[in-house]
Amino acid sequence: MNISLDNLTVNFEDRFQLDAINWQLNDSQHWVVTGANGSGKSALAAVLASAGENLSGSIDGLPAKVGLVSFEAQAELIEAELKKDDADIMDVISEGTPVHEILNPGDSNQKLIDELVDKFSLQSLVERAFRKLSTGESRKVMLIRALASEPDLLILDEPFDGLDVHTLEMLQEYLASLVETVPMVMVLNRFDEFPDFITHIAYVDNGRLQHKIDRSDSKAYNELYQLLHLKTTDLQVPAADPETAIPQLDPTQPLVRLNAINITYDDHKIIDSLEWTIERNQHWQLSGPNGSGKTGLLSLITGDHPQCYVNDIFVFGFKRGSGESIWQIKQFIGYVSTALQWEYKVGTGLRNVIISGFYDSIGLYTKATDKQKQIADEWLALLGMSGRADTPFNKLSYGDQRLLLIARAMVKHPPLLILDEPCLGLDDMNRQLVLALIEKICAGSETSVLYVNHHPEDQIKGINNYLALKKN
Amino acid sequence: MPNNYFNTLPLREQLAQLAKCRFMDISEFPDGVEALKGKKIVVIGCGAQGLAQGMNLRDSGCDVSYTLRAAAIAEKRQSWKSATENGFVVGTYEELIPTADVVLNLTPDKQHTPVVNAIMPLMKQGACLSYSHGFNIVEEGMKIREDLTVIMVAPKCPGSEVRNEYVRGFGVPTLIAVHEDNDPKGEGLALAKAYAVGTGGHKAGVLMSSFIAEVKSDLMGEQTILCGMLQTGSLLCFDKMIEEGVDAGYASKLIQFGWETVTEALKYGGVTNMLDRLSNPAKIKAFDLSEELKLIMRPLYNKHQDDIINGTFSRTMMADWANDDVNLLGWRAETAETAFEKTPAGDVEISEQEYFDHGILMVAMVKAGVELAFETMTAAGIVADSAYYESLHETPLIANTIARKKLYEMNATISDTAEYGCYLYNHACLPLLADFMKDIKTDVIGRGLAVDDNGVDNARLIEVNAALRAHPVEAIGTTLRGHMADMKKIV
Repeated sequence: MNISLDNLTVNFEDRFQLDAINWQLNDSQHWVVTGANGSGKSALAAVLASAGENLSGSIDGLPAKVGLVSFEAQAELIEAELKKDDADIMDVISEGTPVHEILNPGDSNQKLIDELVDKFSLQSLVERAFRKLSTGESRKVMLIRALASEPDLLILDEPFDGLDVHTLEMLQEYLASLVETVPMVMVLNRFDEFPDFITHIAYVDNGRLQHKIDRSDSKAYNELYQLLHLKTTDLQVPAADPETAIPQLDPTQPLVRLNAINITYDDHKIIDSLEWTIERNQHWQLSGPNGSGKTGLLSLITGDHPQCYVNDIFVFGFKRGSGESIWQIKQFIGYVSTALQWEYKVGTGLRNVIISGFYDSIGLYTKATDKQKQIADEWLALLGMSGRADTPFNKLSYGDQRLLLIARAMVKHPPLLILDEPCLGLDDMNRQLVLALIEKICAGSETSVLYVNHHPEDQIKGINNYLALKKN
Repeated sequence: MPNNYFNTLPLREQLAQLAKCRFMDISEFPDGVEALKGKKIVVIGCGAQGLAQGMNLRDSGCDVSYTLRAAAIAEKRQSWKSATENGFVVGTYEELIPTADVVLNLTPDKQHTPVVNAIMPLMKQGACLSYSHGFNIVEEGMKIREDLTVIMVAPKCPGSEVRNEYVRGFGVPTLIAVHEDNDPKGEGLALAKAYAVGTGGHKAGVLMSSFIAEVKSDLMGEQTILCGMLQTGSLLCFDKMIEEGVDAGYASKLIQFGWETVTEALKYGGVTNMLDRLSNPAKIKAFDLSEELKLIMRPLYNKHQDDIINGTFSRTMMADWANDDVNLLGWRAETAETAFEKTPAGDVEISEQEYFDHGILMVAMVKAGVELAFETMTAAGIVADSAYYESLHETPLIANTIARKKLYEMNATISDTAEYGCYLYNHACLPLLADFMKDIKTDVIGRGLAVDDNGVDNARLIEVNAALRAHPVEAIGTTLRGHMADMKKIV
């Protein structure tokens, strides 16, 4: 068996579309297809059972006999059975198709069916009408039917859902015994359910096959784990610490007001007479080519640019240069950039890196409170990094460092979160990880986000104010 | 020339001043920069230290501007550029000094007398003059107008670190002092504390000292262990390795980066930790070598301390200043011509542990230098806290400069005063160690011990470990390192 999907686009009754899928499977492989709810992972698996309408591209090498177990297939069968029950009209009582007929539509291996019925403890149900079974029971029937059809390809969409522990173990063991016999494609969204024999993982997001990972690539495997974790977990952004609360801002004042701003290097004006106001609860995207002064402009706001003292800047209730300290400004800002990541070259543990966000420091120089530690641990859980609280920051991968710095920036729930090219230098997987985290933050807090990038594909939902700088 | 101030004091006052040093708790700074609020601060000089301190103070909410000599402004020199590009107001002495409530003199020692003479008549009645080194007051005997308050605030790190640590939300250890002859309004301490807060120093630890203790301990530390010992050690170790046939590139690298690596261990856990990084036989070897070195070098350390205390050193150096720095410049040129300086570090991999294993003599030299400097300073009446900062604490900072660009970089980074003292030490120490070096082989420098097994005599090991841990620099070091909340590794 060599199945090849080549730039395939499939439509599912205009409800859903899979786009530009490229995927090769052969019979020495066992795949898991995974992704968040609504990502299209079930649709992709179903395509291997000829579901959907091919709009373009091609699919070749599908085997003749495909065994499919899925909620959709189960629902279809039940619906078909219910339709047979037109008894009301005929005024005849119909019991519907008995289970043993469902199990063997004709040419299946009856000995194998009996064996499996035994294993699934369904002996007492074989004479019963299929449509009278509970969901769990009918699921077992579907499994037996698919397994006993001796398929060339077995597609199992969430086969473990709703099974009791005993049956689950039995099924896992049984599937493991088939590894040499039939290639399998399983749809699963919990990593801890991935059977050991799985060799490859396909990750689907928004109707696209985003990643194909060889399980032996442990780095990619771990990153995928985190991505799936962020996409599927119900964990909320942890609350701020009531004891280190940020002072209340005057609600009638904008967060930031820049008046006729200039930034000059060596007599060259990078920014010339710029006006910009960021109101509360506005999200902004700042873009512009390299050298157009994006980072310079941001550092005027954060107070890191020395020329903030020669400009007319109003931030968080302070007119700059009127006797305020930069720490009074920074307490209102969460900040992430590549430059910060370069500067954050410390062996501080992950928990303390997050806690340092309460103090706007690089490294932690103050004894953390128990509450702060608890909040930091909640963030680590959100990031899928529980149990790594004491790992030194500089031992993390580049992408993980970025995630952690975003958590550090958000830990105090600042009125303004500045993300200066947060995806810069990250590979595709890590970029999606970072964006998933940012979306979670935007959805779950009252923080205004100021997002800087020049990658049009890195859009963040909910941003609707734009400032584009030109190169002077 | 006026008199050496220290020598004008009675003995009991000399001793009292030398003994002044107290580690201040962060809870002693509840008022923050309040004492400087609304005051106009004018910084004289915009080198690395001046720029860093000015930027920190401004970011702490203070009103800071810079004054430079008219020529520096007219010619748009680097100091003018640095200040202007960073958005500071820059003006001449005449323009800015009369407006200043606090004047920070951050020029090099050598310029203090002409600078102070130029600004003093321009200063407002009752203003404050701050130094970051007390040489001008203590050694040159500069007399400051009676209505002026005179303080010292001295961050114990180079300017770049003063700024970087502040930006990280921390600071560097800082020494403060009030010149008691010039504290007419009794506000000197409050101003010095606020200034230390403004530069972030209070977060890393503030030592309250005196002008005299600062000068006498600072000079001693920089001439002996900090710069002198590292220079002499570099030259001797390199020449020995070449003589014994070690590859020149390897030898050059082992020394250039070895000081930094072994003193990193010193920074974290004192002399004890530095020696604990060695195998047991190597540790005993290093200990024995350092005992021998201490015996040979003790008279030299005593002489340096004596010359510093009685003013001989400053008098000699000031004579060279008056003679257009002939000695200093000559010695600087000589250093540039040494074999170590002229041999670039080879492209060889040396692991962190190998710097210890192949640098046993270097470890012994650091141990001997730190302990001798500390012992000599405390014997002269300087308290342990001061002696610790001026010996052990600063050694890794100087070692970092050698790692960057060898002795050239070290001597370019440190003050001319330190550099002058360093050469004096080196000239005396090289011949002093000539005989000792004859018996040195590559087992302690360059190749490591050739032992079949790491076995040692129990009794001897216990003795050595006990001696290491019992040294007084270890006790005060443990306490002070504990105060500095977070000794973080910056890689």
